Amino acid sequence: MKILSSIILFLFLTPEILFAQLERQRTVVGQPVELTFMAPRNINLLTVEPLSKGELHYSIMHTFGEVTGGARNLWGVDQGANVRFSFEYGFGDNFSVGFGRSSMDKVYDFNARLALLRQKRDGSMPVSISLAPSAGIITSSFGFLDEDYSFSDRLNFTLAAPIARKFSDDLSLMIVPTVVHFNRVGAELNIADPNVNTYYSVGIGGRYKFAARTALTFQYIPPITNADNLDANIGIGIDIETGGHVFQMFFTTSRALNESYLIAGENGNFFDREFRFGFNINRLFRIR
Amino acid sequence: MKYLNLLLLCAMVFLIKPDAATAQKFMAEEGYVEFVSRAPLLEFKGTSNHLTGLIDLDENLIDFFVDLNTLETGIRRRDRDMRSTYLKTDQFPFAEFTGQLLTGFDKDNPEEQQVVTRGMFTIHGVEREIEVEGTLEPRQNGLKLNASFTVLLEDHNIDRPRVLFYELADEQVVNISILLEPVTN
Repeated sequence: MKILSSIILFLFLTPEILFAQLERQRTVVGQPVELTFMAPRNINLLTVEPLSKGELHYSIMHTFGEVTGGARNLWGVDQGANVRFSFEYGFGDNFSVGFGRSSMDKVYDFNARLALLRQKRDGSMPVSISLAPSAGIITSSFGFLDEDYSFSDRLNFTLAAPIARKFSDDLSLMIVPTVVHFNRVGAELNIADPNVNTYYSVGIGGRYKFAARTALTFQYIPPITNADNLDANIGIGIDIETGGHVFQMFFTTSRALNESYLIAGENGNFFDREFRFGFNINRLFRIR
Repeated sequence: MKYLNLLLLCAMVFLIKPDAATAQKFMAEEGYVEFVSRAPLLEFKGTSNHLTGLIDLDENLIDFFVDLNTLETGIRRRDRDMRSTYLKTDQFPFAEFTGQLLTGFDKDNPEEQQVVTRGMFTIHGVEREIEVEGTLEPRQNGLKLNASFTVLLEDHNIDRPRVLFYELADEQVVNISILLEPVTN
């Protein structure tokens, strides 16, 4: 009888107790993971970090001379910089188009990035994958050659497909398979092998946030193309996010700042101190 | 006799339990909340229309929460920073308040009435006791609540950038406005 009474009391009174506080339910589910990287580039490699619709990203990137020049040359700064500036505009949350200009070989590049897959917070999609085609035009003067460069000779094409995963708030890693093709090559270009037109690579990059807005970054691009003078690209750096700007400072073995030269260009030996200082400044504007 | 006792118990339970007409619970899922940041050079606010709330006059319980992933400041990059860097919404998705009315409230008086509540406010996983002043107004279709209070980000271990190009104030003014509809059990 007592048990029955208890059951009756339980049945009729517990809904009141259960209802006491609201159940915390998320309004937003299946959201993509955000800020896998702080900027569209991690040192020099393209990332999966998309722009939102209406965002304009401006960056100015530099690499200086090798630090082996010592204090007299301010560790390479006196040797002048390769500079690339670029603009990229988000036409949608997953699609952006941009252009840039690098002083090394005076290359204008036109590029696009499409976020094919976005890593999801609920784990239903473990990685983000982007596709980034670009076309470059070398505008250096080659009048000293017996046969000058035609417009078509000046073109190079790149396709990169960064695949990244944000493992935690602090750690993100990516691999970036890339193929680059130069319509014409020669000793006059700042590339590793004047006889190889097409270069392949699988770059690796990552960042580890050791403070709320500061991260250690790295990139490693092994030389997998069968070409002479092609060495590994190694870069390590620091990203500092300041709410509006992202400053990226790094040491890298290459002067290159665009995809095609990053993959096909020459590299110093990192362990012989043949690396150079570089930095990028990223700024995001809202246009829409 | 045994069964008579049982019947009496059932009758008692039904009598004690308030029915739909007398229940004094009000709920809503689409209330408005804004977090206003007023720094010397920049004022901006994060807003959401997904404030969920319950006022239970019987139990003297006030319970609100909002999924912080629904907050928007008008600049997507700032939203991403807010979610990932400052609020860490993956880990701490909700801002929530659970408390009690300290002042009396007469729901049969159709005028707007000043009320004070005290309770625990939680954001970024850190709980603080706060007192909130607001107004409650009985409406035909429920209860209208407007309230405002301030939150210090530092109190909740939310790290702000010290060197920055958009300033984020430590003191955030939280304003809420919500029409709670009567709930029948």
